[in-house]
Amino acid sequence: MPVAANPLQPATPRAGVASEPDAVPLPGRLQATFVPNENAMAWWGVQLLEQAVQEHGLPAGRPGTCRLAVADGSRVRAATVPVRLVDLDSAVHALRTPVPPDEESASLRTWREAVRMLDDDDAFAALGERMPAAAHGALNAEGTAIVTPTVLLTEFRQALRARAALRSTTIHATLRPYQQHGVAWLTARPRSGQGGVLADEMGLGKTLQAICLLASRRTVGPHLVVCPTSLIGNWRRELARFSPDTVVVSHHGAQRKLPSTVPPGAVVITSYPVLRRDTALTRTRWDVVILDEAQQIKNPDAQVSRAAAKLTATAAIAMTGTPVENRLDELWAILHVTNPGLLGSRNRFRQLFVTPIEQRRSATAAAALHTLIQPHLLRRTKADVAADLPPKLYSTVVCTLSDEQARLYRKAVDRAFSDGFGVGIARRGRVLALLTELKQICNHPAQYLREEKAELGRSGKFDRAAEMLAEIVDDGERALVFTQYRAMGELLADHLTETLGAGPTPFLHGGLSAGRREELVRDFQESADAPPVLLLSLRAAGFGLNLTRATHVMHYDRWWNPAVEEQATDRAHRIGQRRGVTVHTLVTGGTLEDHIAAMHENKRGFAKIALGRTDAALARLSDEELHAVIDLDSGALA
Amino acid sequence: MIAAEFGSTPWGRAWVRSVAAIAASGPNALLPRARTLARNHAVELTTEPGRIEARVSAADAVQPVHIDVPLWSPQTQAQVRRLLEKSLAEHPVLIAGDLSDSFEADLRQEGIPVAAGLDELRAECACRSRKRPCVHILATLYALAQQIDERPALAVGLRGGATDPVAPPLPGWIALTALDPVAFYGD
Ligand SMILES: [Zn+2]
Repeated sequence: MPVAANPLQPATPRAGVASEPDAVPLPGRLQATFVPNENAMAWWGVQLLEQAVQEHGLPAGRPGTCRLAVADGSRVRAATVPVRLVDLDSAVHALRTPVPPDEESASLRTWREAVRMLDDDDAFAALGERMPAAAHGALNAEGTAIVTPTVLLTEFRQALRARAALRSTTIHATLRPYQQHGVAWLTARPRSGQGGVLADEMGLGKTLQAICLLASRRTVGPHLVVCPTSLIGNWRRELARFSPDTVVVSHHGAQRKLPSTVPPGAVVITSYPVLRRDTALTRTRWDVVILDEAQQIKNPDAQVSRAAAKLTATAAIAMTGTPVENRLDELWAILHVTNPGLLGSRNRFRQLFVTPIEQRRSATAAAALHTLIQPHLLRRTKADVAADLPPKLYSTVVCTLSDEQARLYRKAVDRAFSDGFGVGIARRGRVLALLTELKQICNHPAQYLREEKAELGRSGKFDRAAEMLAEIVDDGERALVFTQYRAMGELLADHLTETLGAGPTPFLHGGLSAGRREELVRDFQESADAPPVLLLSLRAAGFGLNLTRATHVMHYDRWWNPAVEEQATDRAHRIGQRRGVTVHTLVTGGTLEDHIAAMHENKRGFAKIALGRTDAALARLSDEELHAVIDLDSGALA
Repeated sequence: MIAAEFGSTPWGRAWVRSVAAIAASGPNALLPRARTLARNHAVELTTEPGRIEARVSAADAVQPVHIDVPLWSPQTQAQVRRLLEKSLAEHPVLIAGDLSDSFEADLRQEGIPVAAGLDELRAECACRSRKRPCVHILATLYALAQQIDERPALAVGLRGGATDPVAPPLPGWIALTALDPVAFYGD
C-alpha cells in the first residue's frame, strides 16, 4: 500500500514536550564535532558555513544536518543543525595544518590537538578533560544525552584505525566519493554494536560497499552473506574480483556442510531458502551478517524472517534498493532484524506510526519516525550523487544456473560432442545450433523446451531479471529490455504483465507492422500511463529509435558484438542527455555466456571472438577449443 | 480492526474523554466541528510542561490558542516517577517517546488523572465567539489527543512528569540537563 509520496520527508519539527523552535541558536563561531554515526567530522556553528570553513582552510565536505546539542539561553537542548560533513581522513589531514591558536573556537582547537596526539594515551586522556561539550555534542537516539569525551575520543581513534585497516586491505576497485562515505558509514555500524540498512538505489554499488566492510574486519569472526539463490554466483564473483584475499565458503545446495570452524574474516555465502531451514547458521556466532535483497524478509511471520531474526552477530546489515522508508510494514520487518527494539513491537509500531501516517497523513508521526530511523538507514538515489556518476553506468550481474538448467546444459553439450560436428558448412551449422540451444537454456528452460509459460525458480537469470525489473518499476523508473529471441521476449512479456501490475508489457519485434512499432515507441516516450517496461528484440531496435525516457537498459541475453549492444544501449542514451542510464548485462555464471563475456572483457583468448562475429568465429575452432569455451565450469556453480 | 481516530491509545483517550464530558448534559454541536478541524490538519500545536500553544486555521482566519494545564503536585510527580521506573523495568524495550498502556492503567488505579478536566484548564482564544470553550480550543484538544496517541510520553510531560528513562544515564553518556550552557562552547 503505497502511502502519500514520501510521507517521511516533511521535516516539520516534532511537536511535543521536547519540541524544537524553528531557529537553531548558533554560537557564531565555527565549531568542530565528531559524529560517530556519520563517521565524519561536522563543521557548524555559523550562518555562512561554507565561507567560514573556507576561511579556516578546512575541506568543505558535503552539506547535511546533524542532531547535535546546542546552548540555548539558560539550557542545553537538542537541535537539528545544518553542518558540513567531512570524511575522517581529509578532516584529520586538514586539522594537522598548524594555525594561530587564538583564532579559533575551543571545539575546533581541541580537535586540532587530538589529531596531533593520536598515539599518546595519557595526553589523550588529559585532552578529554578540557574538551568543551560542543566538541562532543552528538546526541543519543532520544536526543536526551551526549556521549562523554573519553568514549568519543576512543571511538575517534577506533574509526581512524578502521580506515587504516581498510586502506591496507587490498580492494581492487576505486570507490566513488559517495561509496567512500557509504563504507565509512558501514564500518561505523559494528563498532557501535548496531545494525543498519543500506538502501542505495540499484546500480550504485551496494555490493562493493558491503565487500569493503567485510574485508576491513578480518579478525573478529566469520561473516555471513544471505542473498536470493539467483545472486549467489554474483556475490562469489564480486568477492573474488574486489577482494581476492577473502576466504569465501559457498553454503548452498543439497551437499552443503558448514565447516566446524569458519576462520575469522571468512565469508560464508548462503541463500534465503537455506537460511530458512539450516540450523547450523543460527548456531554460529557471526561478526557481520549481510542480508542482501532484504525485501525477502519483509513479512515478519514468514519462517525465513524468523530465522533471520535468530542469527547472532555483532551487526546485521540489510541491503535493499527499494525505498523501504515508504513501506512502513516492510521497514518494521527489516529493522526488527537489523536493529531489534528500535521500532518497538509490531502492534505498537502500527499504533504509533502506521495508523497516524497512513490514515491521517500525520506529519508529526512521519517526522518522529524519520528522526528515529535516520541514523540507521543510508539511502542515496542516482539523482543525489549524479555528480559522481558517469552518464552510462555499466553493471554486470552474474546469475546462478538452476539444477534443471545445469542438467539440460550438460546433456546438450554431451550429445553434440558425441554426435560430432563434421566439417565445412555442416560443421558451422551444427556449432551454431548448439550455441543457440545453450543460450536458450541459459535464458529459461521453457524457451529451450518450447513451453508456453516460464515459471520462476527454473532460471537464475529469469528470476533475477524479474526481481530487478520489479525494483526499477517500484522506483518509478522505466526500462528497456533487449533479447535476441522472439520466444524469450514473449515469455518475459507474459510474466511481466502478470507480476508488475502495470498492464500488458509490450514487446517490440520485427514481426510487428511499422505502424505498430511506431505506436509502441510513441507510447513509451510520451504516454502518461504507458507500461514502464518495453521489451525489444535487438534486430528490431536498429532503426534510429529514440527511447530516452528509459533510465535502465537490460541486456537479457548477449549478442556478443559489443558494437551492436552499444548501439542498442544508445536507444536510451543520447549525448547531452542530462539523466544518466544504467546498463545491466545479465550473465549466467559458469556457462558459455560467462566465458565469452570474460574474453570480451579481457580482450584475450581467441582474438576473433573478442572482435565480434563471435558465433562465426566459434564455428572455426577445433573441437577441443570449442569445448573449453562452452563447457560448464562447475567451480563457478558451487 | 480500525483504530479510533482520536484516542487510539489509553493516553490519548484520557484527553478525548475530558473533551467529550461537555456533551454529558446534551449534544454539543461544536464537538463534530472541532473534530473536523483537527482531522483537516487545521491545528498547529506545540506543547511544554503546563502549556499548550496552537494556531487554528478556521474560516479564513487563524486563531491563536493558549491553554494552561495544571501540573501534577510534587508528591504526585514523585509517585509517577516511581510508577514509571516500575513500568520501564517491566517493558525495557519501548520506542523512544512511548509509554506502556499498563503504566496508564497504574496511574488510573492510583487515582492520578492523565488528562485534566475542562474546568481545570485556563484556555484563551482570540476569536469573538462567546461560547467557551470555543471550537478552536476543542479542536486544539483533539489535535493534542492525536499527538499523544503518537507519542504517549507527551501526556506525562504535559503534566510536569519526567518521561526520560529515570535510571541514571548509561555510562558513556551525559544528560543534556547536566550540561552547563555557559561553558558549552568553552570560550
Ligand atoms: Zn476560538
